[in-house]
Amino acid sequence: MNLPGSGIFKGMAVTALNFVGSFFDPKREKRLITEQYPEERPTLVETSRSFPFLIFDNDPETGIRCVACKICEKECPPQCIYIVQDKDANGKAIRRPAIFDIDISVCMGCQICVEVCPFESIRMDNIYEVSSYGRFGDLVIHKNQLLKSNEYYRQIHPTEAAETDARIEAARIKKAAAAKAAAEKAAAAKAAKEAEAKAAATTTQPEQPAQ
Amino acid sequence: MHDLIQKLTALPWDQAPQWLFLLPALLMLLAAAAAVMLRNLIHCALCLTLSFIALGVLFIALGAEFVGFVQLLVYVGAVTMLILFAILLTPASEVAASNNPFRAFQLSKAINAALGGGVALLVLAGLLAAIFFSPHAREAVPPAVAATAPAKAIGENLLNHTLLPLQGTAILLTAALIGAALLAKEERPS
Amino acid sequence: MNFLENLPLAAKQLVLDLVEWICKWLCAKTGVTPPDWLIPALLTLVSILIVIVAILGVYLAMFALMSVAERKILARMQNRYGPNRVGFFKWRLCGLFQPVADGIKMLTKEDIVPRGADKIVHFLAPVVMVAPALMLPAIIPYGRGMIPVELSSGILYFFALGAGTELAVFMAGWSSNNKYSVMGAMRAIAQMISYELPLVMSAVIAALVAGTLSPVGIVEAQGGYAFGLLPKWFVFTPWGFAACVLFYIGALAESNRCPFDLPEGESELVAGHLTEYSGFKYAIFFMAEYVGMFAINGMLVTLFLGGYNAPCPFLEWIPSWCWFFGKLAFLAFTMVWVRATLPRFRIDQMMEFAWKFMLPMSFAALISAAAWHYAGRGAQAWGISALLVGVPYLLLGYFCFTRRHSANNRPYLFSE
Repeated sequence: MNLPGSGIFKGMAVTALNFVGSFFDPKREKRLITEQYPEERPTLVETSRSFPFLIFDNDPETGIRCVACKICEKECPPQCIYIVQDKDANGKAIRRPAIFDIDISVCMGCQICVEVCPFESIRMDNIYEVSSYGRFGDLVIHKNQLLKSNEYYRQIHPTEAAETDARIEAARIKKAAAAKAAAEKAAAAKAAKEAEAKAAATTTQPEQPAQ
Repeated sequence: MHDLIQKLTALPWDQAPQWLFLLPALLMLLAAAAAVMLRNLIHCALCLTLSFIALGVLFIALGAEFVGFVQLLVYVGAVTMLILFAILLTPASEVAASNNPFRAFQLSKAINAALGGGVALLVLAGLLAAIFFSPHAREAVPPAVAATAPAKAIGENLLNHTLLPLQGTAILLTAALIGAALLAKEERPS
Repeated sequence: MNFLENLPLAAKQLVLDLVEWICKWLCAKTGVTPPDWLIPALLTLVSILIVIVAILGVYLAMFALMSVAERKILARMQNRYGPNRVGFFKWRLCGLFQPVADGIKMLTKEDIVPRGADKIVHFLAPVVMVAPALMLPAIIPYGRGMIPVELSSGILYFFALGAGTELAVFMAGWSSNNKYSVMGAMRAIAQMISYELPLVMSAVIAALVAGTLSPVGIVEAQGGYAFGLLPKWFVFTPWGFAACVLFYIGALAESNRCPFDLPEGESELVAGHLTEYSGFKYAIFFMAEYVGMFAINGMLVTLFLGGYNAPCPFLEWIPSWCWFFGKLAFLAFTMVWVRATLPRFRIDQMMEFAWKFMLPMSFAALISAAAWHYAGRGAQAWGISALLVGVPYLLLGYFCFTRRHSANNRPYLFSE
């Protein structure tokens, strides 16, 4: 017979068992699933992303993939990227950024800059411990902090990095093949031209012994 | 320092009970006056509540603990809530001057104030006369009557001497409760 | 052990003696001869101050401990840890210093008063809330001979002060110039007034059987042991058990605790009447609510759980004030337990429960208590009173809950 109030007592029994179990259950490590944060970091999934970063291949000075084409600056919806192209000693523009700032308090992590970059040079990082004490300007990250190596990229996003590397490798092979074909064609053209010149030279030769 | 202590200790400390009466009484009068004179209705109701609390304190100071606590319980707890809910649930009572039906009877502000003050003074005079010319006026304040168990004494009085009015009040309150419930009940379209 | 039992009183007497000695020493040093009434008056004043400081200290310490214990117990019941970081210097101490962090946070928050708010009433609402709440612990007997103010109508004092809480809630809600606050305040007041009736009726039942409105008298009426072994607490009688449960539910409703925390549920009305309060004023409301909760639990212990009496003769060596605070701690734990178990009531369910179930049950308990008393308190009396409580309980339960909420009888008010 369902006495009014019996449901409450059943519920309270469940809660009490939970309470006692959380102290004495032998499997309580699995039961209390809280991650104690600074000591245990959460395992992020591979596709998690937070803010962009720049990739360099071997050396942060010479291996920067970014050529300061400014496509990502134009395409960024909240306009959080600021790029200034580098100039060499004579004042001529070279294909490297002098300044590359991202304001991560504005960045919304939409990954559009990644999608439009033609040089596979900007990718999404998954760092999240970037708080600062100042409110204005402390969350602008500069080029030297944004540059991270390709090894790091392979570490945080293995699949994407493998894909990107494969694409770059394919592009390099294609370019090398095209260069080889062009070189062969040029060599062939050159050989043909030489042969033609030689033929032209030899055709003028038999004229003389006729006399 | 020495004569400060002398002066302090020479004050009439045994007259303190009179000040104990004077303070809540003054507070009650001020609060009641404010309740009549303030512009915002809710402020008026809250000042009225303050006067109720002061009255309760007066009762307790005079030794009638039971009545004092009942005053706080009933007046502050129930009557105040009633007044506040009534103020909140009725529409804004700013009657436009042109809609006032009593406008014909209003002479001028000064004459109105004089008439109102005159009536108040008359009532006050009547009350004072009743107090001063009553036979108990010149007696000293009697000591606290129910020193041992006021609640018990009140209960015995209620249930032995004044039983009929008590039952009548009970019937009246029950009727009021049923009436209120009936008034608040919505008509269900059947 | 008489020493432990008299420890608080002995400590107070020690401080009084110290003050008296200091006064006499000062008088001898400066050569001032005080009038006769000065030193006794001073000692009375110091004695009152000691009692006030002790009670406030104990209640505020309990408030601090409760705020962290509640979070940790709730967490353990919900399969997670509670706050376990805030400690003292390097030691974590299981997060027991969390109230210190919470207090610092609340004290340093900016106090924002809305522009259209009624400034005086907005300022006075926390005052009107906390002043009666701090006066509530005065009439609760904490141990043998340890009651701050001995009033012969102490129970009435307790409920008279509860009226102040309702006024404060209204003032808070109305002065915030916010329609959600006003709605929250209206609901809160409706809830408090509805549940105050069964609360007062249950207290009246205990006063009826004990024959006095004084808390000490009620506790003494529950002293002694039946058959030399079983305690004579009111909760072990049928009417007392019903009245205790009704008082407990009323206490949950008066302190706005789950499952009756509609007035302060965040998903319902932001924070109801507390929406526009921040910083220290919010902390004051919070504190007043917890102190009120402890006071009303203390009243429950006094009225039904035997106050400072021990449950059996061979446990009497534990001092009486330990028993009181132990029972109080147990009740606080059950309040957290109920909070972890039950979901929140809807306002119409709450009202229905109060008026249709609890009020008739409290009348039935009253009649049952009277019958128990007039039938001579013997075995026959127990049977009659059990019947007089049990039958209305089953009938009301059937008519109010089981039948109404059966599948073909459920009242769907708005979904046609």
